[in-house]
Amino acid sequence: MEKEKNLHRLQCSYTCLDESFEIGKETYKGQQYSHIYFARLNLMRTLLHSLVSNWKPFSPVRPVLELEEGKECVIIGTLYKHMKLKPRVLDEYSKERSVVPLVKPHNFTHSDDYLVLEDEKGRVKLGGNFISPSVYATGVVVALHGKESGAGDFLVLDVLEAGLPPQIDRPLKSSEDKYVVLVSGLSIGSSNSNPLQFQLLIDHITGHLGDEMEQGIASQIVHVVIAGNSIEIPAGLINGQNLASKDLSRIAEPIKELDIMLNQIAAGLPLDIMPGPNDPSNFALPQQPLHRCLFPGSSAYNTFRSCSNPHCFELDNVRFLGTSGQNVDDLDKYSEAKDKLEFMERTLRWRHLAPTAPNTLGCYPFTDKDPFFIDSCPNVYFIGNQNKYETRIIKGSEGQLVRLICVPKFNETGVAVVLNLKDLECHALSFGTQLSS
Amino acid sequence: MNKGGRKRPPPPSNPPPSNPPKTQALNQEDEFLDEDVFLNETLISEDEESLILRDIEQRQALADRLAKWTRPPLSPDYLAQSRSVLFQQLEMDYVIGESHKELLPNSSGPAAIIRIFGVTKEGHSVCCNVHGFEPYFYISCPPGMRPDDISHFHQSLEARMREANRNSNVGKLVRRIELVQKRSIMYYQQSDSHPFLKIVVALPTMVASCRGILDRGIQLDGLGMKTFMTYESNVLFTLRFMIDCNIVGGNWIELPAGKYKKTSKTLSYCQLEFDCLYSELISYTPEGEYSKMAPFRILSFDIECAGRKGHFPEPSHDPVIQIANLVTLQGEDQPLIRNVMTLKSCSPIVGVDVMSFDTEREVLLAWRDFIREADPDVIIGYNICKFDLPYLIERAATLKIVEFPILGRIRNSRVRVKDTTFSSRQYGTRESKEVMIEGRVQFDLLQVMQRDYKLSSYSLNSVSAHFLSEQKEDVHHSIISDLQNGNPETRRRLAVYCLKDAYLPQRLLDKLMFIYNYVEMARVTGVPISFLLSRGQSIKVLSQLLRKAKQKNLVLPNAKQAGSEQGTFEGATVLEAKAGFYEKPIATLDFASLYPSIMMAYNLCYCTLVTPEDARKLNLPPESVNKTPSGETFVKSDLQKGILPEILEELLAARKRAKADLKEAKDPLEKAVLDGRQLALKISANSVYGFTGATVGQLPCLEISSSVTSYGRQMIEHTKKLVEDKFTTLNGYEHNAEVIYGDTDSVMVQFGISAVEEAMNLGREAAEYISGTFIKPIKLEFEKIYYPYLLISKKRYAGLYWTKPDNFDKMDTKGIETVRRDNCLLVKNLVTDCLHKILIDRDIPGAVQYVKNAISDLLMNRMDLSLLVITKGLTKTGDDYEVKAAHVELAERMRKRDAATAPNVGDRVPYVIIKAAKGAKAYEKSEDPIYVLENNIPIDPHYYLENQISKPILRIFEPILKNASKDLLHGSHTRSISISTPSNSGIMKFAKKQLTCIGCKALLREGVHTLCAHCKGREAELYCKSVAQVSELEMLFGRLWTQCQECQGSLHQDVLCTSRDCPIFYRRKKAQKDMAEAKTQLDRWSF
Repeated sequence: MEKEKNLHRLQCSYTCLDESFEIGKETYKGQQYSHIYFARLNLMRTLLHSLVSNWKPFSPVRPVLELEEGKECVIIGTLYKHMKLKPRVLDEYSKERSVVPLVKPHNFTHSDDYLVLEDEKGRVKLGGNFISPSVYATGVVVALHGKESGAGDFLVLDVLEAGLPPQIDRPLKSSEDKYVVLVSGLSIGSSNSNPLQFQLLIDHITGHLGDEMEQGIASQIVHVVIAGNSIEIPAGLINGQNLASKDLSRIAEPIKELDIMLNQIAAGLPLDIMPGPNDPSNFALPQQPLHRCLFPGSSAYNTFRSCSNPHCFELDNVRFLGTSGQNVDDLDKYSEAKDKLEFMERTLRWRHLAPTAPNTLGCYPFTDKDPFFIDSCPNVYFIGNQNKYETRIIKGSEGQLVRLICVPKFNETGVAVVLNLKDLECHALSFGTQLSS
Repeated sequence: MNKGGRKRPPPPSNPPPSNPPKTQALNQEDEFLDEDVFLNETLISEDEESLILRDIEQRQALADRLAKWTRPPLSPDYLAQSRSVLFQQLEMDYVIGESHKELLPNSSGPAAIIRIFGVTKEGHSVCCNVHGFEPYFYISCPPGMRPDDISHFHQSLEARMREANRNSNVGKLVRRIELVQKRSIMYYQQSDSHPFLKIVVALPTMVASCRGILDRGIQLDGLGMKTFMTYESNVLFTLRFMIDCNIVGGNWIELPAGKYKKTSKTLSYCQLEFDCLYSELISYTPEGEYSKMAPFRILSFDIECAGRKGHFPEPSHDPVIQIANLVTLQGEDQPLIRNVMTLKSCSPIVGVDVMSFDTEREVLLAWRDFIREADPDVIIGYNICKFDLPYLIERAATLKIVEFPILGRIRNSRVRVKDTTFSSRQYGTRESKEVMIEGRVQFDLLQVMQRDYKLSSYSLNSVSAHFLSEQKEDVHHSIISDLQNGNPETRRRLAVYCLKDAYLPQRLLDKLMFIYNYVEMARVTGVPISFLLSRGQSIKVLSQLLRKAKQKNLVLPNAKQAGSEQGTFEGATVLEAKAGFYEKPIATLDFASLYPSIMMAYNLCYCTLVTPEDARKLNLPPESVNKTPSGETFVKSDLQKGILPEILEELLAARKRAKADLKEAKDPLEKAVLDGRQLALKISANSVYGFTGATVGQLPCLEISSSVTSYGRQMIEHTKKLVEDKFTTLNGYEHNAEVIYGDTDSVMVQFGISAVEEAMNLGREAAEYISGTFIKPIKLEFEKIYYPYLLISKKRYAGLYWTKPDNFDKMDTKGIETVRRDNCLLVKNLVTDCLHKILIDRDIPGAVQYVKNAISDLLMNRMDLSLLVITKGLTKTGDDYEVKAAHVELAERMRKRDAATAPNVGDRVPYVIIKAAKGAKAYEKSEDPIYVLENNIPIDPHYYLENQISKPILRIFEPILKNASKDLLHGSHTRSISISTPSNSGIMKFAKKQLTCIGCKALLREGVHTLCAHCKGREAELYCKSVAQVSELEMLFGRLWTQCQECQGSLHQDVLCTSRDCPIFYRRKKAQKDMAEAKTQLDRWSF
């Protein structure tokens, strides 16, 4: 970064915490999804159990099967939401081909949905108005206070969620401004992708744009995170059928282009790239790092890191946790909230990054752990590939502070997000390549 | 358990020791026979009874638990007998008991007592013993018989009867003979009545023996040997009683206070039990207040048995381990009782009363006690009649629990197990057991399904998938024993499963409105509800005919012999189908209830038929008779109104009324009743014609049925002619109309115009114009337009169905392979999708391409295996089959591999056809789909192409394409073929596995894992391909396995289901295996 004024790019320490998201040598040996629920319930129950004594000191905690009619107690278990509109794979195979094509709604909630609480041994239907089915989703573990009604339902009187996880105190850092750039949804190769826009972003980050002041700011960018959907392979090219070799090479074109672009960033500063739903990675969460063979150019730099999705890391002891958006997008289909940030907040309070996995969100059938359990509260929590930029700070009951960020799709909005590590302040960086009228 | 699929009638074994030996050797279809049951024979002796009582006392704890489910207690006025008893009757039978001394002071000795079981509107159970009704029949009185002769005749008959019934202790076998004036229903007769003799006998079975004597001939003083034609001697006693008392199935009956007497010794478990005279019964027609349903109790239950590995459960070996019960009050959404009885401890289930016992004896007895306390009026389940009930009874017999089979409503009366032999042309002869539970209606949903619906599979799983869109978890019977032998948790798992099997029949019953529909059918046709399931169609018509005949003072001959001699007759007409793909609207003109209308219009009946001799003799004026196209003569209604037309008129009028009421009705329950009624009325009206044509039926009259069809043919022809004559360009219409096809009661017309609305108008015009030329009530109606319309051949067509001009209603197909069982799913999907593309998308090239792709996929081994699975039921073991069949051979082979999981008799065997050595027989090429999946065995694409796909596809495309066969089945898309290498074949054991390049399949050098030197540089694209495959499979894997979790209703437990009927079963298995392979492949990149 040799410029006339000899600006030096700031540095910061980086710790990758992706270990738990690695699948590595695990294979599909016929294991099913019950194990991951089991692991989740065990983790969560220990946690919730410790909270119950303060919450309802006089109510016994009971297994679902030992409920007695009319006696108040606390039950802990995994919620299951019965949804009328939920698309079922069975219908695709078994239903008569219907004349009217199935309309795929954005959201599958319905007023008839109801919740069921399940522990290892049994399940019970939840009743009463206290717990709203639209807020919860299958896979969330909670403690409920209430009693069994005559009809075999459990009348919920109060709900206990695990709440924000404990946060490691952040040692006060220097007053230096250090910026992290978060971007997602580059969608190189899509019909409406605009190479110039991305080039502008790169030029800005690497300090090739603007005057001294701007370059000065650029030199304070210490890290770039690309949160998924960097490329888009034309639909229909990959469908399991054999491809002609010319089609095959078309697949690789956007990847090559991406490699060239990333090359420019990696040459200047550290870069984390996470896979997203459209990237050439596996489908099920946790998505494994994009293979280095896809980036023959950029992977030569030690500043280039291909990471998993979800991705967890620390920059100067600021803990980041983020996904490419699937976890929240799925919640958005199967539950309701006023904005995406609210979904994010809920996942923190539920202490689970992706409660709907494996039910509606693809996920590897882990046998001994649930990697999506959030044991430590991040300082920054981001999700990629959202329609618009949104951010908010939430506070936990024990003083935890979390910056929530929805990173918009760059391809559609031209917006990247810049976060200041010093104070977790955050702003949008907008690139327009068209004169808007 | 998987009913229908796995359950089968248990092999006949010896009936329980103390059963009355009153078994019926032959129970031919539609052969009605009464069977006298002597009350004291069924009752258990006193000492046995006390043994049972003691037993009950010992289990007081259980009794307390059961007590909360008893019926509501009687109010004081019931107890004081100061109020009238009004109840809905559901079941009726009779027993032979001592004649009631108080009610019938003048008679003594054994007599038939009718027992009516029912429920009051408060939910009290009723058992009403009706006395004084006597069995009788008629014979025509020989001319010149005087009162003296009658008494002589009486004596001779009594003597002959005495010979035939030597062991009878009845005083007088032929009670009396009365001279009555009646008329036979057969043939038009000018005189109003003739003398008949009404012969009243002592016991119902004596009707048959008396008939035998009279049929064979009897020596009469002064008259010599004489045979008699008997009348109404084939009417079942209970039906006779119902007809004479105007009682119809499921109606309300009232007994005013004082007209009934509480029984001196209660014999039943009913809350209200009383004696009365048959003349005191007030029977209400089911209208208004009396069309409602009483809150009767419906028990739905299911049992689980722990079978031995490799065997289907047999009551002589395998214990009953669980019984799940669900009791619902008629009209309520939620069950009143949910419980399960388990052998060995079982963890609790929310909302369910779990009762665990240490011995099987206790389980069985607890169930018996439960039946007695909960006192269900209707017992439902899936395959209970052929499996669950006989199994329980035989099991109890094996365990020597003599007190178990007291399940009926009669105190200490054992259920009777009757051997029945059911023979029909379709199924051959089958032996099975019928369990008679006194006072409770058995309603086996499997029987109902088989009777009312045409489905490709009748397993509970596929039936509930079809009607409730719910898949049911299916636990293989080899796992059941493992679950039972596990811990309370695994037994709970089984109990949940068992409960679901008990719950589904109830859901089906509710969803399909069976109670309403069957009760209404019983009311309309006048037979008891239990007849509807256990007997054929003809008794329903017979019951109506007898009722009507009684009003008209007519009697029905017992004309069985006459029937079999008559030949067959020409059936309905079908106009030549002009096959083709019609892209202009086709109007369909339908005759509304054609056959009933013809019978009404031309007054066709037994009593209006004129025999050829009579026609000459009677010299009837030609304007008073109709000569039918088939050459028969019937008088018109001014001379004699037919009974059948009258019945039909009433049925159709009642249907019209019911439909009108249905529109007005607001209450959903009332709607259900009315809808059930109009449906029953429609079915009944249509079955009258069949009754006259059933040569083995009760009163066949081919003169009527052949006349009906001949009129039908004439009308179709007539319609065709009128349409084609009137709608011509000569008459000012735009195009000449053309009749392209005509079926039994409809005619398809192409008017030549292309707008749907205009075609509808022309259709209406034609219907009105042509209806005007017919005698009322025959009416041609315009109902729908088919547009476009693919006419393949007679009775095979498909089209979009329009009733409104702006949008079509649905796609309608007839006779096209969509439901046949022995086709694989691929055929069904291919046919439906092609029709969809042709008719809805109007994309013929698209459909052609679709077929080509599918064929190419098949040849390239890319087809989903589950689409290729063919399923057949294994009905007997291999040796019993005369011809070697694919599924039987496979079952044998599987038994050699692993006897525990091999299919048994009664199971359905799924298989695919695999590639085999040249010249291998078709039956040698069958293989278990799972085995195929696991071992990469190549399927035989040509078998599927030639034996499965080609015919149905060509049928569809032949009217559309010129060279369908050449284009579709032999095009360039059939050139490339890929066959997988089996991993278990002999030679592969010697082959050494060597890695090949992921890009070009070239062999790789030692130490290189991914790509060959040539493919280096193409990493990105090749990796993308590998990872895309993994990604697709991951998505499928997740969706399939979470679906199964959903079905089983638990997240924290592994999926056990092995339902091969489930559309995703093989996919799930395949996804698991493919996933593992794809992952290994992907992992090669990380070297």
